[in-house]
Amino acid sequence: MTKNTLRTAEKMPSPTPSQPLTAEPRPVQQQQRRNPPIAGELAAIASAQQGDGASFEILYNMHKRRVYSLCLRMLGNVAEAEDLTQEAFLQLHRKIATFRGDSAFSTWLHRMAVNVVLMHLRKKGLPLVSLEETLEPSQEDGPRKDFGTRDLTLSGSIDRVTLERAVEELPPGYRMVFVLHDVEGYEHNEIAGMLQCSIGNSKSQLHKARMRLRNLLREDTIGKGDA
Amino acid sequence: MTSKQTHTPRDCDEFQRKLPDLFDSDQDLLDHAHLQTCRNCSALVRDLEYIAAQAKLLLPIHDPSPAVWDNIQNALAKQPKGGDRNS
Repeated sequence: MTKNTLRTAEKMPSPTPSQPLTAEPRPVQQQQRRNPPIAGELAAIASAQQGDGASFEILYNMHKRRVYSLCLRMLGNVAEAEDLTQEAFLQLHRKIATFRGDSAFSTWLHRMAVNVVLMHLRKKGLPLVSLEETLEPSQEDGPRKDFGTRDLTLSGSIDRVTLERAVEELPPGYRMVFVLHDVEGYEHNEIAGMLQCSIGNSKSQLHKARMRLRNLLREDTIGKGDA
Repeated sequence: MTSKQTHTPRDCDEFQRKLPDLFDSDQDLLDHAHLQTCRNCSALVRDLEYIAAQAKLLLPIHDPSPAVWDNIQNALAKQPKGGDRNS
């Protein structure tokens, strides 16, 4: 991979690990909801498959934001996200001739990008699902019966920027499953295949991630109320 | 919702332990018997459903720097023609 030396490692949250994608494809309807067709994409794919560089650039411009955002949310680090965006598109260039249209192109590409991130994290030797997060859930992520004296619910109170910031604060393992499931729309069986964990583990990590987010968002809401 | 205290803390523990699976099922969680009497667990479920719904609306808002495309172009220029075209 060509290292991007122009950017310093602006730190968002810290990263987590991964592996190849072998799970069953999602229903077409769900794929199209998450990845609707883009005008001009088919023609650009066909030309890029014939080796046309300008068409490949069109595809890059169509998909760079989504691929980069995916990498950034999974990794929490700008420099790494840019490196892996680069790697994902280089891999796309190598493999685009094998795209047969069995799924939406964007679904195929995003899957490739997820795989690139997961392989990168594996190479770094990081566990996909943090043992600490799995074996020793903190008290705040466990069941609660008492939410304190301020009985707020979140409904209607959080904007996307606040949620995005809270997601960045999640521990890497929680963030990975949350981004893959709730943001990207992968199913637990797919995530389990990607992360090499059980479906139950994926569900559990997602639940803990949402619980942690709830606490973060409630703190934020209460903080604003007190200000 | 009327908050008759017909549940015990153990009921809440049990319900919350099942939540990861319940969320993944097709049933409407708010119809669950425990939630008919438990205000705290109802609030919890509403919040978690709200967070999941909001997450689906998160748009890709970040763009990579122009250096990424420059680096891709440079890398492609160094690659031999052909790639994985027969794979």
